[in-house]
Amino acid sequence: MQHDPAVIAGVCLVAEAAIARAIALSPGTAPQLAQLHPVELAIACTNPTIDVFLVINGDGEINVSSYRETEPTVCISGSSSAFLKVASASDPAAALINGNIKITGDTAVLMTLQNVLSDLNIDWEAPMVDLLGPIVGHQLANLIRGLTTASKVAHQSARRQLSEFILEEGRLSPPRAELDDFLGSVDDMVLRVDRAESRLKRLKNRVDLLSGASA
Amino acid sequence: MMSTHDKVTDDTTDFGFERVKTGEKAGRVREVFDSVAARYDVMNDLMSGGMHRLWKRFTIELSAVRPGQTVLDIAGGTGDLAAKFSKLVGADGHVVLADINSAMLSVGRDRLIDKGALSNISVVQADAQYLPFEDNSIDCITIAFGLRNVTDKNKALASMHRVLKPGGRLLVLEFSKPVSPLLSKIYDTYSFSALPVMGKIITDDSDSYRYLAESIRKHPDQDTLLNMVEDAGFVDCRYHNMTGGIVAVHRGIKG
Repeated sequence: MQHDPAVIAGVCLVAEAAIARAIALSPGTAPQLAQLHPVELAIACTNPTIDVFLVINGDGEINVSSYRETEPTVCISGSSSAFLKVASASDPAAALINGNIKITGDTAVLMTLQNVLSDLNIDWEAPMVDLLGPIVGHQLANLIRGLTTASKVAHQSARRQLSEFILEEGRLSPPRAELDDFLGSVDDMVLRVDRAESRLKRLKNRVDLLSGASA
Repeated sequence: MMSTHDKVTDDTTDFGFERVKTGEKAGRVREVFDSVAARYDVMNDLMSGGMHRLWKRFTIELSAVRPGQTVLDIAGGTGDLAAKFSKLVGADGHVVLADINSAMLSVGRDRLIDKGALSNISVVQADAQYLPFEDNSIDCITIAFGLRNVTDKNKALASMHRVLKPGGRLLVLEFSKPVSPLLSKIYDTYSFSALPVMGKIITDDSDSYRYLAESIRKHPDQDTLLNMVEDAGFVDCRYHNMTGGIVAVHRGIKG
């Protein structure tokens, strides 16, 4: 399916603006990215077919485009579902390496870029202070920091409690060890059935041979 | 070879749906753009719903311009493409912002000064049919929403071919023919009903925007323009439809 270039250009524009905003709010990131210039990262999605290129310029900015004619430094290709799996994985780096995604080119650059972006430390206080002044801005930034931390803690706690309820209280799902033991028993049973089937086949062959000889 | 689709006869040519004397068209077009220059970008945003920025962005991507190159933006008007090219070619490169209309150039130059982007940009008042540049001197030429206003499009394409370096590329971004009949009907209704009203409200000039709508209908469709670009001597020519063919960007390489 042919995609409208204007739509892809719009997606690239939005992504580029979001990345630029994040980099601007993380003071240490732009100089680190500038050291990677002129790295070009190609992301080739095969289903649907969409190519996106991330180009790091000398100012540490990341330009996002849908068309390049130069050879990318590193190319990541795969289907949209494979990319979604990586994006939703708890460890995206491990998922990228172990999933159905093909990486060609200089993978060391990709690791460096991943390290830089994982160290992205967005400073919400600067835009708040610019907008509202040092007193109100600082208080608001503190409030946001507190809410973000509380939200993270609440999220982790909710996950743990939900897991405990499903496993222990409700007994809605077996614990992992019990499940592994059960699956091991099933595998064992499959092997035994295979062996019994082979033995029966062998016996049947012998019976056929003996009945043929006596006739 | 002169394309039969570029309707310049011995002494008359198209001006929207009107036929005017060939020598008069440039003056009539100048009057239109003199009238709309000050609010040209606002109107573009309103008329296209901001889509013109995406069309231009894709055109810039197709240009594949590199640092150190020379870019000529014809009919560059208010300088939005030139500002982007200025950053791409860097301090070692050069961008020429050219337009036949001094009012548009004036607005463009002021905008570029405000953006601090004039260090590697020259502003030149020039007619696309008679480009005042040396042969084989430009790496990339863009003409965005300008070709349909040129009196003799074949002459302009030949002139662009002359000044491009071998291997240099031409990009023509222009309104074209929607590929879907339904979209075409909606687009016609919008162009001839809503556009003049918007022009009247924003620039107090509905006639200029009626001309813009009419000139789009008289402009060659995708395949015709592709043939014209090939006839001008360009090779490896192709086009990309955008927004259902309302706009197309044609690319040609000087062999």
